[in-house]
Amino acid sequence: MKKLGLSLILNYNINTSITFVAIVLFFIIFTPNHLFIDLRNLASMGKLIPDLGIVALGVGMLMICGEFDLSIASLIPLCSYVFVTLLMKGINPALALIILLPVGAALGFINGIIVVKTGLPSFIITLSTMMFWRGVVFSLSRMSPISITKYISPHPSFEKMLTGTIGRFPLQVIWFVVVAIIFGLLLHFTKFGNWIFATGSSKETARAMGINTNMVKTTCYIIIGVLCAVVCTLQSVRLGSFNATQGVGFELKTIAAAVVGGTSLRGGVGNILNIFLGILIIKIIENGLILMKVPVFAVETFIGLAIILFVIINNFIQRRTT
Amino acid sequence: MSSNESNSNSKELLKMIGINKYFGKVHALQDIDFKLNKAENVGLVGDNGAGKSTLIKVISGYHSAEKGQIYFEGKKVRISSPKDSRALGIETVYQEQALAPDLSISRNIFMGREPATALGFLRKRVMDEESMDALKSMGLHLRSPNINISTLSGGERQGVAIARALHFEAKLVILDEPTIALSVKEVREVFEFVKQLKREGIAVIFITHNLYHIFTISDRIVVLSHGKKLADIKKKDTNVDDLSEIIVRGTIG
Repeated sequence: MKKLGLSLILNYNINTSITFVAIVLFFIIFTPNHLFIDLRNLASMGKLIPDLGIVALGVGMLMICGEFDLSIASLIPLCSYVFVTLLMKGINPALALIILLPVGAALGFINGIIVVKTGLPSFIITLSTMMFWRGVVFSLSRMSPISITKYISPHPSFEKMLTGTIGRFPLQVIWFVVVAIIFGLLLHFTKFGNWIFATGSSKETARAMGINTNMVKTTCYIIIGVLCAVVCTLQSVRLGSFNATQGVGFELKTIAAAVVGGTSLRGGVGNILNIFLGILIIKIIENGLILMKVPVFAVETFIGLAIILFVIINNFIQRRTT
Repeated sequence: MSSNESNSNSKELLKMIGINKYFGKVHALQDIDFKLNKAENVGLVGDNGAGKSTLIKVISGYHSAEKGQIYFEGKKVRISSPKDSRALGIETVYQEQALAPDLSISRNIFMGREPATALGFLRKRVMDEESMDALKSMGLHLRSPNINISTLSGGERQGVAIARALHFEAKLVILDEPTIALSVKEVREVFEFVKQLKREGIAVIFITHNLYHIFTISDRIVVLSHGKKLADIKKKDTNVDDLSEIIVRGTIG
C-alpha cells in the first residue's frame, strides 16, 4: 500500500523500470564475453551518457510542461562555439563556462518567448530555431573542428572537475546524478514543479488558478538553454575540440528517452526517475548493440524498433490497468 | 448618508451597475444591473450567446467591462484579473477546466496557492490533510488525496472544485454549467454540494441551460437574452413554463 502511495504521488511508471532491468539483463547475457558489465565498458558509458542525459532531463521537464525543444541540437554546438571563441580570446575556461551560462539562458529565453507569444506549436518553432542557429554555427565555424586542448591543458583542475575520474569512475556521472536529483526535487516537491504539471495538464485551469503559464514555460526553455551550455562544455572538454556537429541527433533522442520514460507527449504526465531510466535505456541499447557487433549504421534501426515496441507494450499495459 | 448606505448594503454581497461589454462591434452586455445577497443562490439562464459567460467572466476578472461599476461588500472594486477576483473571495468553477486531470486531488485543490517552505518546497502533508478535511466537509469521502482527478466521476470532480472554493473561504462561488454531461445521480450529488455552500453562508451564481435544475437549487432567477437582462424573478413568483416562455420569446409577458 505504501509503495502504491509513492507511485501515485510521483506518477511513477513501473514499466520503464521493468524494461530497464530486462535490457540490462539481456545485454549482460548476450554480449560476447559479457562485455557489457566489463568495468571498462561501464566507465566509457559513464563518460558518454551524461552528454545526452543532462540535457534530456530538461527536455523531459519541458515535455511535462506540454512543449518540445528541438533546437538543443543547435544550441549545443552554438554554445560550444562561443566557449571556444572565449578560450581563444585568452579567457580562463572556468570563467568562460560562467559566461556561457547566461548565453545559454538567453538562447533558451528566445525559444520560450517566441513559443508563448505566438501560441504556435513549439515543435515547429524550435524546429525553425534549430535550423536558424545551425546555419549560424556552420557559417561561423565553416564546419571545421577547432582543437581546445592547448587552452584547457594549462588548467588541469578545470578538466579534472568536469571530466576527470576517481579511479575508473568518471566524474560526469556525478554531475548527471546531481542534475537529476535537483530536477527531481524541483519537479516533484516544489511549488514551481506543481505549476509545471498544472500547465502541461491543463493550461486553462492553471491560468484560472492564477498561474502565469507563459512564465512557467519560458523558464523551462531557459533551464534547457543553461543545460546546453553545461553539456557543450562537458562534451568539448571530453573531446578536446569544438565540433559543428556536436549535439546533432540529440533533438530526437532526448524526446525518445522521455517517451521511453513514460512521459506523455501531450504534457502533464511524467517523472524524473523514469526519464532518467529512459535515458539509460536508449544509451544502453546503443552501447549493447555495438558490443554485439551490430553494424554501427544499423544501430539506429534497432533503437527505432525498441522504442516502438516499448510504446506499444506500455500503452497496452496502461489500458489494461485503468 | 454614508451610514445609511452601508446599512442598506449590509446584506448585499455583489452589485453591478450599468455593465457594458463590447467584442469588436458586438455589444455583448448592454447596461446590465445585477445584484446578489450574501448566501443567496441566483440561477443565471439564457440561450447560447445570451451573455451569461461574458457576465461571469467580467466578475471573475477574465474580461473587463468598458462601462459600469462593480461593488463588492459595499465597496467599489476594480476586477482586472482572475487574481483580483480571487483576492475578493470570488471563486469560479468553469465547466471543464476547473481541474487539471493528470494531477492529484490535493495538488489541484492547492494549485497556484500551494503552502510551501521559504525555499519553495511543498508542504505536502498540510496539503493532503487539509484537502481531505475540505472534502469531508462537503460529504465527499474519497480514498486518498493523492488519486488523480482523471479517475474521478464527473460529480466527484465538481465536488473537489467546490471543496476548493470552500477551503479558501470564498464568499461567492460561480458555477459554470456544473451539471452539464453528468448522470442523474451525479447531478443530485452536485446539488448536495451546492446546498452545503448555502449552509456555509456562501453565495452562488449557478449557470445552466436546464431550467429544472435552476428551480431545484436557486432562490432567484436572472434571464439574459442577446446581452440584455430580460427578467429578474424570485423563484416563488414564477414557474418553469413561464420561464421557458420568456426565454423562447425573448420578451416578458
